[in-house]
Amino acid sequence: MLSETFLITLFLGAVMAGMPLLLAGLGEQLSERAGVLNIGLEGMMLAGAWAGFVAAWASGSAGLGFLAGAGAGLVVAAFMALFCVIMALNQIVVGIALVLAVQGLTALLHFVQFSQSYPRLDGMQAWAVPGLSQIPLLGPMLFSHNPVVWLGLALTAAMAFLYRQTNLGIALQAAGDRPAALDALGGNVTRLRVLTVLTTGALAGLGGAFMSVAVAGVFVPFMSHGNGFIAIVLAMLARGRPLWVLGGAFLFGASLSMTTALQVVGVNVPVDVIQMLPFAMVMLVLVLAGRKANLPAALGESFERGAR
Amino acid sequence: MKKMVTGSVSRMVMALALVLGGGWASAASAEEIDTIAIMAPEMGTDMGWNQQGVDAARAAAAAAGLEVIVAENLGYGDVRPVLRELIEDGADLVIGHAAGFNTAALEIGEEMGVPIAIADMPEKLSKGKVADYTGTGSDGAWLAGRLAAKMTRTGIVGIVVSGEPPSWNNMSVAFAEGVRAENPAIEVRYAVIGPAAYSDAAGGKRVAETVIASGADIIFGQGNGSSFGMLQAVETTPATDGGKAWFIDVIGDKSSIDKGHLLSSVVWDLTPIYSAMIADLQAGNYGTRNYDISLADDSLRLLKTDHIPADVWAELEALKADIVAGKITIAPKYDAASVHALVRAVE
Repeated sequence: MLSETFLITLFLGAVMAGMPLLLAGLGEQLSERAGVLNIGLEGMMLAGAWAGFVAAWASGSAGLGFLAGAGAGLVVAAFMALFCVIMALNQIVVGIALVLAVQGLTALLHFVQFSQSYPRLDGMQAWAVPGLSQIPLLGPMLFSHNPVVWLGLALTAAMAFLYRQTNLGIALQAAGDRPAALDALGGNVTRLRVLTVLTTGALAGLGGAFMSVAVAGVFVPFMSHGNGFIAIVLAMLARGRPLWVLGGAFLFGASLSMTTALQVVGVNVPVDVIQMLPFAMVMLVLVLAGRKANLPAALGESFERGAR
Repeated sequence: MKKMVTGSVSRMVMALALVLGGGWASAASAEEIDTIAIMAPEMGTDMGWNQQGVDAARAAAAAAGLEVIVAENLGYGDVRPVLRELIEDGADLVIGHAAGFNTAALEIGEEMGVPIAIADMPEKLSKGKVADYTGTGSDGAWLAGRLAAKMTRTGIVGIVVSGEPPSWNNMSVAFAEGVRAENPAIEVRYAVIGPAAYSDAAGGKRVAETVIASGADIIFGQGNGSSFGMLQAVETTPATDGGKAWFIDVIGDKSSIDKGHLLSSVVWDLTPIYSAMIADLQAGNYGTRNYDISLADDSLRLLKTDHIPADVWAELEALKADIVAGKITIAPKYDAASVHALVRAVE
């Protein structure tokens, strides 16, 4: 059973399951770094999944689908920015409201558009690294992936550089830890937070579009299936380190693949126990790594200039 | 005066009935029933469990001349407010079309005195109050197993489910038993997408692809929304022998969207069940029996598609006749342990 095809499928399954978490997790980390707890991430992913699928299906272009998904996530995030950053409303309440609203809206749109036809997309071609992708077993696993996978890896590196090497990274940290101090130094906390929330929305939307366009090839209501909330946990565990988001996302994806593999090979363990694996792994990481978790001091707090 | 006495007597009789019935409309009569309601966790357009329920409720209500209130896309959270609203809107029977609704439905039905229909809890049968319609689709799933065993090229078939509710366990067991009955050498591989992964289309595709990569060329999928991901997997992933992978669906009929990979489906038609519920309610017998689907009246059937060769279909028809005649019996098994034991058994 453990053929090359089976092992490659397992590995690629882990990558495909981890990628939406990586994109949404990187976005959430950005928001949190600037002090905004973006509970609406699940809604942004779902909006991206719907818009991405519609655009890819209508245009025949997966690339347009990904762009539309990012755009839809950004639109939902604009509401988050308006209500939470500009109007200073409660971030948790607004986030939950956005999730519920998007769930209802996308289910309704799906009902109107696709409930009789359920269109499905053709499979996407991977971008393969010439030469390296031909290596038996490892080649298809490591060097032949969807373009968004390469983008996600590049974004991880870019985020790490942004946080550690740039003034913007320092300003983001100040917006999350000491927004009043940033303001006193002439920084625009509100503008910075709005931009991070919008970027988060775009990344979460791209993650949702990846689910519908690249992974499932179909849109069904509620298909983000809690990935947004898992991404929030990953971002919190990662303590501001993009590489940890990458590791956590693929650890979760690998655990999902392992769950399937254990069932398929017929390991004599109750399925319920096997299915706990991904969540148990995350909890284990939480215990081992999260004890020293140091979230931004002003996370979740609204900023009003001049307010004490 | 006479009207006043009659009214007083009526009130006393009603009060007595309420006391004796514990507040339930156990002696409901025909003129008292004008509306039924159905609650579905997802949209009634999923070509599966939800659509079959909603369509059947509409058909049964129309046949009986009743109004129907459809509350769909409710998710799997707390449905108590919806239940109260449906009953306040006049529902004389509320069908909770998801096992996840059972606790709330039983509680609110008791509280507001309206009969409730539930699934997957047959032991809750209670006169005038509760009836269950856990579908034992096992006869149909057994036939699907025979079909899969006849059609597989690789000698491996897969079962992919998005959860392990009793009715699905029952069909998984029956499918595996059908496969073994046809050819004990055929291997059955089983995978659950995740806990309550009913709408996880991406997970459905990922898991189905993995099962196909392990050698299965036929996937028997139970999954609500996630089954569209499974269908996508068989459409985009060739079997390990390079040939076409097939999908056998359950409950609904996806033939209108088939791209050439839908081998069959174990179709449930719940209309006879809901019609029987309405009739029993009108006769004052509601809650004295549970309800089921059957090959005999075509409320349970195997979907015939052009992909099934005529000789294979003829053999399946003969097997169906034997089941209806009682020559073949498939014992329902609702627990997940029965599924796991069967799919791990090595012949």
